[in-house]
Amino acid sequence: MLKQVFNLTLVQHTIRTATPLILAALGGLLTEHAGMLNIGMEGMILLGSFFGVLGSYFFSSSLVGVIFAALVGLLIGLIFAVFVVDLKSDEFIVAIAINMFASGLTVFLLRSIFGVKGAFSSPDIVPLPRLQIPGIKNIPVLNIILNNHSIFVYISWILVVLVYIYLYKTPHGIWLRAAGEYPEALETAGVSAKRMKYTSSIACGVLCGFAGAHLSLGYLTLFTENMSADRGFIALAAIIFGRANPIKTFGAALMFGFFDALGIRLQVLGIPSQFTQMIPYMATIIALLIVTKRQMAKWKRI
Amino acid sequence: MDKRHSNERIEYIISLVFSIVVSLLIGALIMIANGRSPLVGYGALLKGAFGSKYNIATTFAKTVPLILTGLATAVSFSSGIFNIGGEGQLYLGAFAAAYVGITFISLPKGIGIILAIIAGALVGGIYAYIPALLKVKYEIDEVITTIMLNSVAVLFTSYLVNYPFATTEGKMGGTEIIAEGYHLSKMVRLSTLNTSIFFMGIIAIIIYYLMEKTSAGYDFKMVGRNSLFARYGGIDDKKQMILAMVLSGALCGIAGVFEVLGVHHRFLQNISPGYAWDGMLAALIVKNNPIGVIIMSIFLGALKTGSVSMENATSIPSELVLVIQSIIILFIAGEAGFKEKFKVWNTRRKAKQKAGEKNA
Repeated sequence: MLKQVFNLTLVQHTIRTATPLILAALGGLLTEHAGMLNIGMEGMILLGSFFGVLGSYFFSSSLVGVIFAALVGLLIGLIFAVFVVDLKSDEFIVAIAINMFASGLTVFLLRSIFGVKGAFSSPDIVPLPRLQIPGIKNIPVLNIILNNHSIFVYISWILVVLVYIYLYKTPHGIWLRAAGEYPEALETAGVSAKRMKYTSSIACGVLCGFAGAHLSLGYLTLFTENMSADRGFIALAAIIFGRANPIKTFGAALMFGFFDALGIRLQVLGIPSQFTQMIPYMATIIALLIVTKRQMAKWKRI
Repeated sequence: MDKRHSNERIEYIISLVFSIVVSLLIGALIMIANGRSPLVGYGALLKGAFGSKYNIATTFAKTVPLILTGLATAVSFSSGIFNIGGEGQLYLGAFAAAYVGITFISLPKGIGIILAIIAGALVGGIYAYIPALLKVKYEIDEVITTIMLNSVAVLFTSYLVNYPFATTEGKMGGTEIIAEGYHLSKMVRLSTLNTSIFFMGIIAIIIYYLMEKTSAGYDFKMVGRNSLFARYGGIDDKKQMILAMVLSGALCGIAGVFEVLGVHHRFLQNISPGYAWDGMLAALIVKNNPIGVIIMSIFLGALKTGSVSMENATSIPSELVLVIQSIIILFIAGEAGFKEKFKVWNTRRKAKQKAGEKNA
């Protein structure tokens, strides 16, 4: 039975389920660095999934789907920034409004545009292309694990590296982090902290849009009500677990993706999956506890 | 209350009404874009919410969980600790009630019900105690921990009712029906309105009295406004925060109890469609004012009930009210900011006018 659960397909599924978490978490860690906790990722992912399907269905092109998803993410990211940065609203209240807006609007549009309840799927929704890496085609293990994934799997990996370089090696990235940690110092240096916050929020929206498009166009081409299914919150968990470092957050997202994939396989065998599903949430609380305990010990030494 | 304070309150009520009206207008535009008449749509909604005895009963039935979770939010938020974990506390409270209801089946009617309420309050309170403790002891953000604990509670109860406590009536993700003695009686035929509304009323009066008329309530608010200042004033701010959180969790737990005793008569794995979130919105909209929570809960309950009738009569999807609700929240969240911007714009305009007069 162990062989039925732990095999190469599990690794393959882990990579697949981790991808939307990685994309959303990369976005969320940008706003986190700019000093904004974004609970609205859940809604942004959901809107991305819906508009991805919408674009792909009406224009018979997955690229248009992705563009639609990115645009709606951009718009919501902009709204988030306008309220939080300019109108000084509570970021958490705005995020809750965004999540509620997303779940209401997607179902509303699902029913008024496609006239269906629950789920919409159609052969006319064009899926995202799958990638075949020619070099590893003949290596059986790598072929199963790494090949034939939807394009965003590979894009997400590249983005992890790019976001890391951006945050720690470019002046712009340093400004972004300063906008969260020392906004006054940044203003003194002549860089607008406000602009950096806007940038991070919009980037977060776009990345969550991608995460949504991967969900609805990556493997199965369909939209279902509440498709994001808490992924925005798991992405938040990954950010906190990875302490907003892109590489560590990537690791956390992969780990949470693994437990998700594992849970689904256990369920098929009739073993309760609820406990594996709980892991991301429990792990985050425990990680927070360990981190603060360690910090407190450090302060005591000083 | 001094004059400035009451002026502020009136100003806020004006912005609130304005926000609601604009949001409803946006809803009307969406209806027009959908090719439907907003007059017909809102007419159907109003009729659906208050058109008959049955409709009114359904609207008020919806307010029970909203008011309880709304007051729970008001208690915690005004004490400066943010309980976002209402949904999880509600689930655990509901399960506790169901557990009592299927275990102690021969208790006399009143005692059983009270026992179930206490069990739900206790479980909800204890579950809220965890993030409160993490907050005051380790300064771990309670917004994050309560969000995470929501999912844990929903998953845990889902495990319980699918495996150890699953009903033998088939795979439905629920417990057995609770004993007859635990059922709260229905008040209007076919509607879900039941006697829990009286229990809720008593609890609401107690909470109102506690928050507005006692020194304990004053202490809570002091901590919420400025915990450092409160500490100088001799209030143990940490103890107050924990107390507020536990009280808040207990209220959410009780909201779950009533869903089991009054509506479903068993625990179901999807027992709440986000009641705690809606209750929290009610509290947020009125800035944690207990009376405001009650009025807002009736408004939100009417929207929910009415939207179903609106859908049946005009085929406008009921989810439109979610969109309207979220826009109201956005306006309210931006209220202070909008006002500020308007004031800046207004002074600039006046300054320009004056400068113009001088030049002329």
